[in-house]
Amino acid sequence: MRRIVQDPVLATALILVVLFIFLAIILPLIYTIRESASAEGLALFQRYLTESVYQRIILNTLAMGVMVATLGTLLGFIFAYVQVKVKAPFKRLLHFIALVPIISPPFALASALILLFGRNGMILRGIFGTRCFWGEGRSCNDIYGLDGLTIVLSLSLFTVAYLNLKGMMQALDPALEEAATDMGANKWHIFRTVTVPMLIPGIAGSFLLLFVEAIADLGNPLILGGDYEVLATRIYVSIIGLYDTKAAAVLSVILLLPSLTVYLVQRYWISRTSVISITGKPAGTPQQITHPFVRWSLVAIVLAVCFLIVLIYGTIFVGAFVRVIGVNNDFTLQNFDFVINGIGSEAMTDTTTLSAFATPIAGLLGMLIAFLVIRKTFPGRAALDFATMLGIAVPGTIFGIGYILAFNNPIELTLPGIGNITLLPKLTGGRAFLGGALAIVVVYIVRSVPAALRSGTALLSQIDPAIEDASISLGADNAYTFRKITLPLIRPAFLSGLIYAFARSMTTISAIVFLTTPQTKIMTAQILNEVENGRFGNAFAYCVILIGIVLVAIAILYLTVGSSSGAERTLEGGA
Amino acid sequence: MKKSFVFTLLVLFALVLSPVAAQEDTLTVLCTPQEDWCVAMTQAFQEQTGIQTSYVRLSSGEALARVRAGASNPEFSVWWGGPADAFIAANEEGLLEPYESPNAEQIRPEYRSEDNSWTGIYVGALGFCSNVELLDELGLEPPTSWQDLLDPALAGNVAIAHPATSGTAFTAFWTQVTLQADMLEYPEGMPEETPEAGADRVIGTGEGYNEDGTPTQAAIDNAFAYFAELNNNVLQYTRSGAAPGRMAGGGEVAVAVVFSHDCVRLQMEGFEGVVTTTFPEEGTGYEIGGMAILANAPEPEAARMWYDWALTAEAQAIGQTVLSLQLPTNPEAPIPELAVNLDEVNLVDYNFQAAGENRQAIVERFDAEIAPEPAE
Repeated sequence: MRRIVQDPVLATALILVVLFIFLAIILPLIYTIRESASAEGLALFQRYLTESVYQRIILNTLAMGVMVATLGTLLGFIFAYVQVKVKAPFKRLLHFIALVPIISPPFALASALILLFGRNGMILRGIFGTRCFWGEGRSCNDIYGLDGLTIVLSLSLFTVAYLNLKGMMQALDPALEEAATDMGANKWHIFRTVTVPMLIPGIAGSFLLLFVEAIADLGNPLILGGDYEVLATRIYVSIIGLYDTKAAAVLSVILLLPSLTVYLVQRYWISRTSVISITGKPAGTPQQITHPFVRWSLVAIVLAVCFLIVLIYGTIFVGAFVRVIGVNNDFTLQNFDFVINGIGSEAMTDTTTLSAFATPIAGLLGMLIAFLVIRKTFPGRAALDFATMLGIAVPGTIFGIGYILAFNNPIELTLPGIGNITLLPKLTGGRAFLGGALAIVVVYIVRSVPAALRSGTALLSQIDPAIEDASISLGADNAYTFRKITLPLIRPAFLSGLIYAFARSMTTISAIVFLTTPQTKIMTAQILNEVENGRFGNAFAYCVILIGIVLVAIAILYLTVGSSSGAERTLEGGA
Repeated sequence: MKKSFVFTLLVLFALVLSPVAAQEDTLTVLCTPQEDWCVAMTQAFQEQTGIQTSYVRLSSGEALARVRAGASNPEFSVWWGGPADAFIAANEEGLLEPYESPNAEQIRPEYRSEDNSWTGIYVGALGFCSNVELLDELGLEPPTSWQDLLDPALAGNVAIAHPATSGTAFTAFWTQVTLQADMLEYPEGMPEETPEAGADRVIGTGEGYNEDGTPTQAAIDNAFAYFAELNNNVLQYTRSGAAPGRMAGGGEVAVAVVFSHDCVRLQMEGFEGVVTTTFPEEGTGYEIGGMAILANAPEPEAARMWYDWALTAEAQAIGQTVLSLQLPTNPEAPIPELAVNLDEVNLVDYNFQAAGENRQAIVERFDAEIAPEPAE
């Protein structure tokens, strides 16, 4: 505490961070909970929690979350493991393919999957001549419902787990495993008792992110859910179809409970199992798995998933250039013409500008909060981390509702003798401040910061504070140490935070679907329109352009942030 | 927003507030038909008048919800398109500003409201859009009655939108209410002479219709029973009304309940020979696409200019250039070559006023009782 106060830069940063988190995360949540706690809302709680229809919807939501979190984390782990510890062919290519799904415009994967494996899918029906994976008629097991949702969501989300776990695996000190080997442990024993326990923060973090992402997902259940109803789609219809903010708030709070529960469990778990492994001392290169069976079965899984990803994105790409893919495969540029020369151009510039604005703020904010939380002591430290993580632990639709409830009117302060002072203008709805752009940027930041914070803390908690203490005792101040020592050390986390933030902002739908205004057009909302109106060609053209924008941005980020600096070289090159 | 981004940043950080005064050189349209029609209309209007015209496309139910949500400070000035039921519902809540357009006289009286709260801009009938090949495989003919949709052979093979978001689906629901009312009222069959619109109805048992001619609660309950049964065959409730047609085109479902012009449109967009349009023999519902100025519109003058213009034959000819094949309400406007001829279709006596008044209660009940139920 004393050190924070003594350092004005740190104190100011802390106050600004806290203020932002309060306004952007806590306040909308308070409004949502208040709305649900009205007499009418409480009656709705009673109904939703006792009626079997709604109980099933709640169970559906949880089942989907668990399935996706498990499969997605598993895939991410296997991919990371193959990259870091297994001798495998085409590693760089596989890495690149695994990165592709972070740029998954909502609806794109689901649409492509329907075109490939739907009941009239080009593969299921075109090659295998069947409409159902098994069964027929009423018992037809098709792509719609839980199985399809699990596949699509796991594929869209596993990259987050992959990036987190890969970063951590690379940061693990091989000396630990070497020591275990020297003491006679076999590879499986080492894997179970050394590798996995050290990765638990990453695994748990990935599981949390994927679970919450999955139960909050809106786009996929909208078109792939079939009769598998989940809470997010119920909330969506409550607002978009009925403007029943009470029902939406109540459903939101119900959706909030599992998210927060998982989050709390994960926090408690991590706090018990944190392991420090980066010491600043020289480290060796990781040992590679060479056992043929283990090696090839892992590689086979990775190759199969990569093939599926290529197939899906290939469908999107080809679909953008033909009239109606699978039905009328004539080459055409009409789709791009519609997007680029039509309304799409405005959506493109708006979305890109807002995302470009949100990205650096989200990345830096994430690293700053990670630094404050892990390295500094001040009252409410845990609360700050907790509140920031709510940005992702809370499903996007709930922020959408919270923002409508909290910021649809300006927040004013009446001063006697001076009159009204507007503290915060109207941010959402009709004639909002900056056409609603500010609210959208803030939501982008709020939704992106937690990923940056989590990868920042995960990495930082493995780095021995002695390195920074050395800097301080050599006379550097906190800001200098953060900039010159901490940030370079956690640069992999910073970079993945930035990439995630930009890709996330460009592709988010659930949080902003209630916030778009006539003045601010967002690409994902436009894609929803095109998909809904059945024009997959236009939708895919949007997706191709969106993916192109994100790829260019990632390239820029790699070139600017990704280049090696002194501190990291010292760590990595010590071997 | 995009022009002076540096300025935007400055403003953002300083949190300086300068609310932009509403100016009459802009117009914001709430647009419900298909997106490219919205684009074509707003561009044409902008070119003619120089008024900077922007729009947001929302399905009918969504549009109503959004108008309701923003009632105190509306973001839109004019609402263009979508079934009139939603406009009547909005008018009941005082969300519309009546306007007597000099051009409204050209429109037939049954296509506009008496109090000038809304005016019809197009008409279209509900139909079934079927995937020919798929029906063939199932051994079925294209459906020609609402009962055909309940065939267990169509399990998971029917698509329709959600009435809460889609005006199309609500039209389908109210059509069913009307048909059920007819069956209750005239169990022996419909009276031979169907009275002209506006004339007194032939009184039957009194169980289907109330004295004021609105369908009874029993008729509404029966319609819910029908949709509860249909639910077992429905693969997915979509958000937008035209979307199910695409699912039929793509072969994901065999039959879609959509406005017939949307099915014809699909055929033009690359699905020729893939889908076919049929109509239920017992009668189908139809929509009058409405238009209205919103209460407290931020740009009232520009909205009135749009209103007058949208009723002209010239403006109503724009739809068919982007394959929106609804029938224009202005008799001077050219009829699209491929449009469905409504004289050849058996239309139910659709009570728009009653539909609008019951809209909210029905969609809420549908959302609570039908949509969340999994198919058996």
